[in-house]
Amino acid sequence: MTIMIVYYAITAFFGAVLFWNFVKSKDVQKAILYLVILMPFVLRVFRLK
Amino acid sequence: MYAHAGIVLGVMAGVFALARLFKITTELSMLAAAIGGAIAHGGLISPRHIADGAFTYFDVTLIFITATFFMNLLKHAGGVDYIIRGIINRFHRHRLLCLLFLTLVMLVPGALTGSGSVTVLVVGTLVGTVLTYMGISKDRVAAIIFLCAAMSAAAPPINLWAMMAAAGSNMPYVGFFLPLGVISVLGALFSMFFLGWKGTPVQLDKVMAELPEPAQGMAGWKVLLPFVVFFGLVLAGRIWPWTMPTLGLPLMFMIAAAVTVAVSPKRLPIFTVARETVQGLLPLIGVMVVVGILVQIMALSGARGLISLGVVTLPLPVIFAALWLILPFSEGLVQYAAAPLLGVPLILLFNMKGINPIIALAGMAVMFPIGDMLPPTTVVGRATTMAVGFKGSYYRGFVKRCLIPAAFILLLGTLYIIFGNELSFLVAG
Amino acid sequence: MKANREWIIKGIALAVWAGVLVSSGIAFAQHRQYKEAVVLGAGVVDVRTLGDYFEPLKGTTNDCNIYILDSGVPGGTLLIMGAVHAEEPATNLAAQLIVENASATTGRIIVAIHENRSGSTVTRPGDAYPQFFTIETDWGEKKFRMGDRWANPLDSWPDPETYVHYPSGQLLAYMDVRNMNRTWPGRPNGSLAERTSYAFMRLIEEEGVDLTIDLHEAELEYPIIGTIVAHQGALDVAAMVSMMLTAQEFTIGMEISPLALHGLSHREIGDFSDSPCILLEAPEPFLDRVRGVTDEALLLTGQDEFVMKAGEHGLLYWPIDENGWPIDIRVARHVRTIEKITELWTRFHPDEAMVVAGFPTYNEMVELGVGHFFHDPSTVSQDRVAFE
Ligand SMILES: [Zn+2]
Repeated sequence: MTIMIVYYAITAFFGAVLFWNFVKSKDVQKAILYLVILMPFVLRVFRLK
Repeated sequence: MYAHAGIVLGVMAGVFALARLFKITTELSMLAAAIGGAIAHGGLISPRHIADGAFTYFDVTLIFITATFFMNLLKHAGGVDYIIRGIINRFHRHRLLCLLFLTLVMLVPGALTGSGSVTVLVVGTLVGTVLTYMGISKDRVAAIIFLCAAMSAAAPPINLWAMMAAAGSNMPYVGFFLPLGVISVLGALFSMFFLGWKGTPVQLDKVMAELPEPAQGMAGWKVLLPFVVFFGLVLAGRIWPWTMPTLGLPLMFMIAAAVTVAVSPKRLPIFTVARETVQGLLPLIGVMVVVGILVQIMALSGARGLISLGVVTLPLPVIFAALWLILPFSEGLVQYAAAPLLGVPLILLFNMKGINPIIALAGMAVMFPIGDMLPPTTVVGRATTMAVGFKGSYYRGFVKRCLIPAAFILLLGTLYIIFGNELSFLVAG
Repeated sequence: MKANREWIIKGIALAVWAGVLVSSGIAFAQHRQYKEAVVLGAGVVDVRTLGDYFEPLKGTTNDCNIYILDSGVPGGTLLIMGAVHAEEPATNLAAQLIVENASATTGRIIVAIHENRSGSTVTRPGDAYPQFFTIETDWGEKKFRMGDRWANPLDSWPDPETYVHYPSGQLLAYMDVRNMNRTWPGRPNGSLAERTSYAFMRLIEEEGVDLTIDLHEAELEYPIIGTIVAHQGALDVAAMVSMMLTAQEFTIGMEISPLALHGLSHREIGDFSDSPCILLEAPEPFLDRVRGVTDEALLLTGQDEFVMKAGEHGLLYWPIDENGWPIDIRVARHVRTIEKITELWTRFHPDEAMVVAGFPTYNEMVELGVGHFFHDPSTVSQDRVAFE
């Protein structure tokens, strides 16, 4: 149970990093790819999938 | 059904080509192909298929990110420089021992995690640097790193392709240790010595002068400790599987990362390293997420079934003659998904034809990882060129160098399948 | 100017992305929270939950309903488990059909419709399963969740680096720690699936179950199909059932549970309790890797050109033609085989007699459709409706 919470924290941390990279990325194609990768991270953190 | 699946496949290929023509990256072109295929299948499908597909390799993505994060922290702390200096100091006079030692170092991470990418991410840069100082050209170094990483993924105890195919055909993952071990160790040694035997002796003074000085206060135990903790956790999970809490690989890497931060002689910029990690991995995890979406749409539209059917309905001699091409390319196309997609029907087919399924699956399971350098995903191949800093042409430089040892490995795998019954004695292990 | 354009594209991408996330998030949540209504048949005297047998499971996703059909006449106790793998829908439909229609006249029947309920709240990424399927009934459409072979990662995360089966020590693929037909006999501190298996073992012990039947479906490419797999403790009954059904009604094979394969119900339940276990497999072309379009129609009709083609090449272990394997036939095979098992069990073990009533016949199920046997929950008193 505790470990599961840690996993949500890890996912949220890297999700935040991905989003920050999206914001900072100058290359639009890369920015879009960041968003695509971010999808499962967000859905998992919100316990939707 | 044939026409429908065929049209969807055609549309996918067309959209992909068109997107590439408009200078869209491979990853986004594949995404466009998936969306194009979905529309060709049935107009506007529920967007949850996109999200569903994006989850296909989520576990593996997390392992990649955490493993690389750990290695990058270690690099920032100066640990990698320290290890390289140590190995060169100790082994620079004995080429044979040095290559053997490096092969072993390469095999361990992937053997334990089942992932060639983990090998490349954890030890690829390090071994690559040592090999470069042994007078081996960058393209050969990249080829060695990739092939050994592929063999480490194939090596027992964990071979994900064999495990996934075994799980899919309800066969216990038992008896694979020797069949997989023999073939993967042979393959790794052949690659290492074929490409790395010739070179120049290490010029110790010059190398030591060129190598960056490790950070002040760096010490052997500080580099070793995170690895000891990591492998200790993996081993503990094996030795006491029912008393150790289930940590999972991502958390093990995060704990190793925490240890690295704790013993580092200097303060590490954690958020910056995390950003660099994700940036460096973008092509890798980007491709995995997009391939997941593509596979989902192919399954939805029957395109996946059409491909599977095409493969398993080939006559047996043709399968023997073509598997060494089909398996790596399917791996290049859909990654681990190739194991359930082709591995399961093939293993059931072999079983039906009276070929020892364990040996046959072991043979197949070492052929898959060779495809990790092939398009469209090129996951481990690209990770390798990134890790060793190979700047030449990907296909004409790197892939070409891999061909001969790769052919050797593929030949071994094919022989395994054809002579599955004669080799049954290996299963006893 | 250039920076502006960059932000506009990023903004649009962000909006599209948010749209996809919100709509798929809603779809996932609706699927996970959807409840299937079960109308309790006259034979049901009590509905307990699995947590009653193993306290720590109370309130978790896998705290599934346990339906008790008690005749009040002393005899044997039969346990039927549906949807061990929630991607095998004929299994929970068969179990639910029994709960809604059957009763025991000697001994007891205990039914779990969704044995690994967590698995029924998620579908497999990359496999494009439909989230729901509907069955035509006499009073309208009845909607069911489609599920996955493995428990939902939302309930069981993370997986180990390798799954080491308890207590054999056999190594299995990491995700199989969420596969309930690899976690028997389970352990109290393990993964959700291991704990669920453990709870069922407690139920078997506490209720004095004499025989367990585990329902499954399989792809036609898989050698164990259209068959009965029996623990050595129920071999005589299984062999007789297979012989009689094959001679008189429909073809069904018989296999002995292998000794070296661990974690499977037909091996471990029999080895670790007093109840032998029999596993039934029905053909489900939807699960075949070579299948064509993946949709609800394939799930329900079992008709697929690609799978037929594989059959023409001799690649299948079970026949298929253009009629496919409709859900009605698959459910009917399960329900009829269960009835036959009780009959022969009673003959072989008169002191543990299980006499049942209210099972529709095979022909009734095939001709009228399984939907005919599901009752309208809005027409009965609400205390006779349970939710899965
Ligand atoms: Zn099953």
